[in-house]
Amino acid sequence: MELVVNGEARQVPDELADPALPLLWALRDVWGLTGTKYACGVGACGACTVHVDGEAIRACITPLASLAGKRVVTIEALGTAAQRHALQDAWVAQQVPQCGYCQSGMLMAAAALLAANPHPTDPDIDAAMTNLCRCGTYPRVRAAIHAAAGAMPASATKPSAPKRT
Amino acid sequence: MKRRLLLGALGVGGALVVGWGFLPPRSRLGGVDTMPAARAQVPLNGWIAIADDGGVLLAMARSEMGQGVHTALAMLAAEELDVPLDRVRLVQAGTDTLYGNVAMFTASLPLHPRDTEAGRETALATGGQWVVSKIARELGLSVTGGSSSVIDAWDVLPLAAATARAQLVNAAALLWRLPASELRVDAGVVSHASGPRAHYGELARSAAATPPGRVQRKPPSRWKLIGTSAPRIDAAAKSDGAAVFGIDVRPPGLVFAAVRHCPMIGGSPGAVDVDAAMRLPDVERVVHLGSYAGSTPALAVVARSSWHAQRGADALRVAWQPPPTGALDSAVIEADLLATAHDASRSGRGFVFHQRGDVDAADRAAARRMEAVYRAPYVAHAPMEPVNCTARVADGMVEVWAATQVPGLARAVAARAAGVREEHVTVHVTYLGGGFGRRLEAEVVGQAVRVALETGGRPVQLLWSREEDLGHDVYRPAGAAVLSSSLDARGRPLSLRITSAGDAITPRWMERVLPALAGPVDTPDKTASEGLYDQPYGIPHQRIAHVATRHGVPIGFWRSVGHSHHAFFAESFIDELAHASGEDPVAFRLALLDDAPRHKAVLRLAAQKADWPGHGSPRTLPAGVARGVALHESFGSIVAQVAEVSLVDGRPRVHRVVCAADVGTVVNPGIVAQQMEGAIVFALSAALHGRIDIVDGVVRQTNFPSYPLVRLAESPVVETWLVESTRPPGGVGEPGTPPLAPAVANALFALTGKRLRELPLVVPA
Repeated sequence: MELVVNGEARQVPDELADPALPLLWALRDVWGLTGTKYACGVGACGACTVHVDGEAIRACITPLASLAGKRVVTIEALGTAAQRHALQDAWVAQQVPQCGYCQSGMLMAAAALLAANPHPTDPDIDAAMTNLCRCGTYPRVRAAIHAAAGAMPASATKPSAPKRT
Repeated sequence: MKRRLLLGALGVGGALVVGWGFLPPRSRLGGVDTMPAARAQVPLNGWIAIADDGGVLLAMARSEMGQGVHTALAMLAAEELDVPLDRVRLVQAGTDTLYGNVAMFTASLPLHPRDTEAGRETALATGGQWVVSKIARELGLSVTGGSSSVIDAWDVLPLAAATARAQLVNAAALLWRLPASELRVDAGVVSHASGPRAHYGELARSAAATPPGRVQRKPPSRWKLIGTSAPRIDAAAKSDGAAVFGIDVRPPGLVFAAVRHCPMIGGSPGAVDVDAAMRLPDVERVVHLGSYAGSTPALAVVARSSWHAQRGADALRVAWQPPPTGALDSAVIEADLLATAHDASRSGRGFVFHQRGDVDAADRAAARRMEAVYRAPYVAHAPMEPVNCTARVADGMVEVWAATQVPGLARAVAARAAGVREEHVTVHVTYLGGGFGRRLEAEVVGQAVRVALETGGRPVQLLWSREEDLGHDVYRPAGAAVLSSSLDARGRPLSLRITSAGDAITPRWMERVLPALAGPVDTPDKTASEGLYDQPYGIPHQRIAHVATRHGVPIGFWRSVGHSHHAFFAESFIDELAHASGEDPVAFRLALLDDAPRHKAVLRLAAQKADWPGHGSPRTLPAGVARGVALHESFGSIVAQVAEVSLVDGRPRVHRVVCAADVGTVVNPGIVAQQMEGAIVFALSAALHGRIDIVDGVVRQTNFPSYPLVRLAESPVVETWLVESTRPPGGVGEPGTPPLAPAVANALFALTGKRLRELPLVVPA
């Protein structure tokens, strides 16, 4: 079977073709696209979030068999070196990542959110961003999404710039 | 008992250091041969090399697990060398003992903070630290942990960078026949007002042969970088998928392995039927794994992808054998801890970590006595990157790629597993997808190397599933403590007695990773009582004791270690005393801090910024929201937090946390704020949800649905305020964790009138 990953037609080698093979492992172990992460394998944490035809999905529970002819976009193609996605710039400007492991999934979830809802409110972000982060980057994730959306609503929370006395 | 043990320990330590004392102190500057430099790079000492293009290479001996250490250490080097931060490139440090962490070991002594306070140090404290620093320097263990990286680097790295700078400047002075004092350095370019200029790359070869002369570090008044929120050097790679974690290495020919431990902790596989697994397409073999660095024996399945390997592991039919010591049961253990703490508090049993005044006399003089029992369960680390390691064994050489906090110990475990000398093992340290203490272990390295012995020279990536990670962690130990206090007629506490019970972490860890140095006694392990014996409060009569138990559950270092649950015990109990005295919780604490001005300042700052009544501006909270406060010192830093909490559907919801901290000199305030936010969220997951239950030897929590973590929607707004300080840096990665649980519990008391004395915090219906 064939699908399009980051604009490129990809084949699953016959010897690995198993209709149950989740997209995550084809990305990581077959095609070497390691930006998408494994962390739970049951769709509970969102570290494996990618876009399928523009929708955020959890690749660890999405069988390849369901993706024939679909367009998959991973973190590697969210932006380019020359033109990073507005969220990636916001991620650096707000200093979001700590260990960084969950951030690919966070960014892909946030990008799908902004594509559908260019100016999300805090409750919109709460509802869309269900990814788990053990380092506690959540306040900055929220701030970076607002920043990338271009306008911070007055109610928005933002991470504290550290203050000195 | 205390005296005999201490004398014994000093005797052994003393015997070890006889002779050392007469040797000149071993410099930590290091020789040029220890610096891992390539061609077109000139090493100037063990930490710094200069590239031909003028860039600076820094030997990096600490693991980046989110705490920002790569950025912080690069800032220290860039500051002294007068180069922009982006001119510093990191190269993994070698295996020389030069790169060992000394500060982490000196901080492991069970000393009271007031005995190590600058200007007030006791001879015993200074002597003990000297002995331990000598041993740690000889041991030379490269460890990232204990919030110690910047503390350890502070006396070493800036000096190494300043020495390199002095050599470069002196080389230019000799070349141009100008006085070095008239030269200036700007962005790695040395120049003189009369015209000559050269960048570091052009001077490096002469500099290597030029003595540095008398080297001095920059005075703080000339810092350009230290104290600024310089952007993290890893932020871009961590927002485009380019950052390489342990699970991401892809050496050519890589195969994948899944691991299946005996579900019962400590058990082992009996008869194994591999037929169903081997019939699966792409499953190539099954490997028996013994116990490596404390791991439960297991089976590994090798296949062409991690998923195929996992399917193979699922298809194994195994007659699992329970451990010879019997199946563990956490409910039984927790009940035993409670009984042990109760018994010991009555009988006076236990190792006394701190004693002052005369608690018995104080109790006799008391107008009123308070006693409370606090408990904490086992909890898991659950870093987002599951435990994994990649290894290749070919021609008697071993190569390991690992997200590890202990590269040297990983190397030793790999060498033992492969049966080769350590010199034949190379360990590549990747980014760590979270650490929190979990990656101070090295069992997975032994497992991966064992499998790699079977794959004909092909590298193998061994990955634990999340289920294996939660079921076979080294957990934060469960604990119980009886706390009591005698109050005088005006409600002031005269005495504080704490008797705690729990397993000792450090001796168990040593048995796993440093068996040659593991001793027979469990006390005094500082982690067993830290956060209890080291109170800042001026309570005149104190007796803080701990009974070290041995329950057999694998336990390890969990972000902030003993402090994490002990702060909940101690700061909740202090809050109880405040309420019993009819005092405001902030005022009550301040009155006990006359001898602890730094703690007082931090608490005042938090109270002011949180608009605590009587501090800051008057701000009433919405109905149904209450504030709680906690203050705690750990890893050389002092943190106070005020949490604003309500109940949503009967469950605690933390809306805002105001965090004030004195972390000494701040290298990067942005990273400090990030760490405080992160520690608060990490602690909140544990405070609200964290518990591991073991039934019939098997951990019940299997994945994030049954081991829930706080999500974005439940995470509070965090505001961080830092006290200006000229002291050397304290720890940053962990000290934000301990105060959160008691601040939330104290807020819940203010809200409901019900005192919660057990973690996680569940409000009764």
